[in-house]
Amino acid sequence: MVTITIDGKEYEVAERRTILQAIDDLGLLMTEVDIPHYCFHPKLAVDGSCRLCQVEVEGLPKLQIACDTPVRDGMIVKTANQRVKDARKGVMELLLINHPLDCPICDQAGECKLQDYSFDYGIESARTQEPRRPAKKNADLGPTIVFDQERCILCRRCVRFCREVPKTGELGVFHRGDESVLELFPGTQLDNPYSMNVADICPVGALTTKDFRFKIRVWFLDDQESVCDQCSNGCNIYASRSNNKVYRYLPRRNDAVNDTWICDHGRMSYKQILENRLTEPGIKGQRDVGYRDAIQEAGRLIREARTSSRRIVGVASPYASNEDLFTFRKLLEALGAGPGTFAVQRGEADDVLIKAEKAPNANGARALGFEESYESVGAADVAIVLGHTTTAEYFRDVANLILIDTHVSSLMDQAAVVLPARVTAEKEGTFTNHANRVQRFLPVVEPKFEAWSDGDLLQQIASASGLGGWDSMYSVHEISKELTESIAAFADLQLGSLDDQGRELS
Amino acid sequence: MIIVPYVTGYLSEHYADDDFRTLSAYKAKGGFEGLKKALAMEPEEVVEIMKSAGLRGRGGAGFNAGMKWSFMPKDTDRPKVLVCNGDESEPGSFKDRLIMERGPLQILEGILIAAWAVGASKAFIYIRGEYKEPIRCLEAAVKELYGARLCGENVMGKKGFNIDIVVHSGAGAYICGEETGLLESLEGKKGQPRKKPPFPAQFGAFGLPTTVNNIETFAHAPYILDRGVDWFRGFGTEKSPGTTLYGVSGHVERPGLFELPLGTPLREVIGHAGGVRGGRRLKGVIPGGMSMPILTPNDIDVPMADEFLSERGTHLGTGGVMVMDETTCMVRVACVVSYFFRDESCGQCTQCREGTGWINKICERIEQGRGTQQDMKLLEDVPAMMEGQTICAFADAAAWPIQGLMRHFRDDFEAHIREHKCPYPESFEL
Amino acid sequence: MQAQTLQKIEALFEKYPQKRGALLPAIYLVQAEKGHVDSDAARELAELFELQPVDVWEVLTFYNMFYTAPQGRHHVYVCTNLPCSLRGARSLLKGIESHLGVHCGQTTADGRITLGHEECLGSCGTAPMMRVDGEYVENLDLVEAKRVIDGLD
Repeated sequence: MVTITIDGKEYEVAERRTILQAIDDLGLLMTEVDIPHYCFHPKLAVDGSCRLCQVEVEGLPKLQIACDTPVRDGMIVKTANQRVKDARKGVMELLLINHPLDCPICDQAGECKLQDYSFDYGIESARTQEPRRPAKKNADLGPTIVFDQERCILCRRCVRFCREVPKTGELGVFHRGDESVLELFPGTQLDNPYSMNVADICPVGALTTKDFRFKIRVWFLDDQESVCDQCSNGCNIYASRSNNKVYRYLPRRNDAVNDTWICDHGRMSYKQILENRLTEPGIKGQRDVGYRDAIQEAGRLIREARTSSRRIVGVASPYASNEDLFTFRKLLEALGAGPGTFAVQRGEADDVLIKAEKAPNANGARALGFEESYESVGAADVAIVLGHTTTAEYFRDVANLILIDTHVSSLMDQAAVVLPARVTAEKEGTFTNHANRVQRFLPVVEPKFEAWSDGDLLQQIASASGLGGWDSMYSVHEISKELTESIAAFADLQLGSLDDQGRELS
Repeated sequence: MIIVPYVTGYLSEHYADDDFRTLSAYKAKGGFEGLKKALAMEPEEVVEIMKSAGLRGRGGAGFNAGMKWSFMPKDTDRPKVLVCNGDESEPGSFKDRLIMERGPLQILEGILIAAWAVGASKAFIYIRGEYKEPIRCLEAAVKELYGARLCGENVMGKKGFNIDIVVHSGAGAYICGEETGLLESLEGKKGQPRKKPPFPAQFGAFGLPTTVNNIETFAHAPYILDRGVDWFRGFGTEKSPGTTLYGVSGHVERPGLFELPLGTPLREVIGHAGGVRGGRRLKGVIPGGMSMPILTPNDIDVPMADEFLSERGTHLGTGGVMVMDETTCMVRVACVVSYFFRDESCGQCTQCREGTGWINKICERIEQGRGTQQDMKLLEDVPAMMEGQTICAFADAAAWPIQGLMRHFRDDFEAHIREHKCPYPESFEL
Repeated sequence: MQAQTLQKIEALFEKYPQKRGALLPAIYLVQAEKGHVDSDAARELAELFELQPVDVWEVLTFYNMFYTAPQGRHHVYVCTNLPCSLRGARSLLKGIESHLGVHCGQTTADGRITLGHEECLGSCGTAPMMRVDGEYVENLDLVEAKRVIDGLD
């Protein structure tokens, strides 16, 4: 460690880091230490070309770029004196001479670094009379991204991203000088599993996603912390919501999980909150039953099976949270049903983020004693199933299927009772990812129909089936407490004590 | 066909002789004596001699060449590389072309001496792509060296002294004359200069320890080794020893190259070119290639060495002297200068990419009589925003000449704004 | 690209500590064969050099001497930098423009000549000058320039 002084305040930082990296490591970049920057991105190679992060380093005659200046013990850095301010102002003025002042129609407005920094560090009025350099408007870069070339400030973050992260290298800067342009190789598209990250890292409105473009002004949105549930990586995300609707997912930084990225599939999975949802409870194919009736019917089926000592089985879902699964485990124990099983769908994986297990919590199910099985559950009177990934085949020999599910599926027709459940974005809980990292997610929206979390529904069913001690109102925090107290691996991982970065199972 | 200088010194005295480009003739004129003497010494001694000779790099920056050689790491197993910078693109400079065309073996001998001194096993001669004839001359000379076992393995019978020489053609980009832009280009990339540190001596061509010297710099080395430091220091000034090839162009009677000791007064340099054409009066002189700020007739007696020129706010650069007579519109000069830098900026750094274009647009507006007082302010502010703030010195090179023109010829700019037209009807055409 | 070009390119690799060093010379070879390097040729080069096509395209568009689009049979470039301009290069260029009936940057309708201007070519002592198919023609006036240009097939 070395000590550096920034504007009179001392910081202990790691060696062999640059000033910006060191400050970013401490999580203080732009929160406590204001060094504006465009080309620097903590997860990409240092470029050093935008020159906005210039600071004064005592003992050096020229201003230095903080993104590329290594820290030294005793280094004294000044970020706010007149010389630095003038340099920033110069960069800002020069960046704007070829940038259109079209903020009112630009989708980036409100989360644009050019706008923000102009306000904080720039000039009040433009001194250019020249027309801006001619450039493409609204150019289609591929299935996901639209490019407004005239807004591009050539920070090359997107270029570096495509080269360094998906390693597909679709984008380049062609020509030179003030004719330099960001472009695709002729005749190709920006099309890779991570393409939409370029819109996140674009500091201006040059790269926007087709999906989010012009949907809503960003100042109407607020971001809630969540975790992507599309594979076992458990990428950290923000769900941007307004009026009880999710408009987009954005990556949320977690250096131990997803750095600052998410895959396009995960990003677009917010659509699953509204698409093809199971909205109504049902009893034997009947859809207009009341919620309580469906719960009562499930309770009755279980009660009867117990009375006549017929077999009850439980099938969990790797989409269910640790808390839901713990509730299920408890219920199955109370019913004397033996350990539940689960199955997880597998698919393509890569060495960036995407994992083979296409569900967020298979490791949670494993840690909670559920057995992985891809066989028929065999003959049973009642199967309690947390749906989502199981197929109808497994329940060939089941008399009464109690199905708790989030989306419409083929299992519904076969079920004696169907209960609509909440998706990740509608509840609170934790998932255990592929590396056994337990990560919390918070409720983002309320369902537009009556639905409860798997755990809540299981508790209501338990109560309806006459089991003792299940009558209280379901509380995910209570369950979390119980879980962390009773299962050693989850000790210290209580909902309230987990921060936004998660922690590994012990 | 390049015109051979008629004012010569040790470097160019045989340039009129076509045969000087062949090994036998070159040797007959004393060629490879310097290398022979160098090989009789320890490499460190050669570096010491070069250091004390005080040969300043002739590519523009004027850094002590021996000093540069001494930066090469000694305790490393990595192969070391020499790069000879033949990307001569500084407007007003044409001396390296002459040396390559008329004295290619001088350069190669210099490279061999340097290779011995720094322990390099690979040398690249990077020549701008437009220089077809220089490329042919160097390729022919390298071929002859290989034939005579003067490069390759065990050069001159010296066991373990192995050096490969590759002639590499650039492809048309001024910025590849910048040391690290050149290295990037040599590696098959865009010629965008690198951030420093690391410096080439640690991380140069292909990541290997590298020394980059200009064509002329290498060409002087054999004479220093052969004839000694005292002899070399007999030319030029205390701080800038030796001769150089001043290239005089523009409004003179006989443009050309003249080999003169460093520190020769500007008046004398221009005098060798026959003085200002048609007996006209001098208006301004750019002393060292286009990146260097302009001088006025008041500076006509300045000794042409960097230590004297820097006192007058400019530099010797490459010694390319551009003479402008009284008909010259300095706003047009600013237009040409700023267009060049706009065209050649690599486009990496914000200030340079955007600033060069903006300055050019402002100059053109003023020249067309559409300028305002705000443009005068901008021509002060924009170069200041660029200077000293970018990865390489190109932005400085783009800012300085404009600052020089504004400093000395502000009246020309003001007149355009006042009269809404160019007041120099006889000026060179744009 | 032709087998012969490929062979020549592969022979270049050993000259450089890393293969990519041979990219500029390789582009010259492809250009010599085809007249310009289009996106298909760039793809071929990328494959040969184990690069992304975009890397090759960045290089191609950065340098003045590489062409990504078809060119005239002959190239005529007039230097318009300061030393040449001071000695009448711009007037010379205008004369050539009207002689050929094209603007600087264009190719004659018969595809014979592409006319361009260039930055300093190191011919300041013999200004003005032009570069015709790579070779320097120096100490020029319009009469001589026209004579040289008219001699091109």
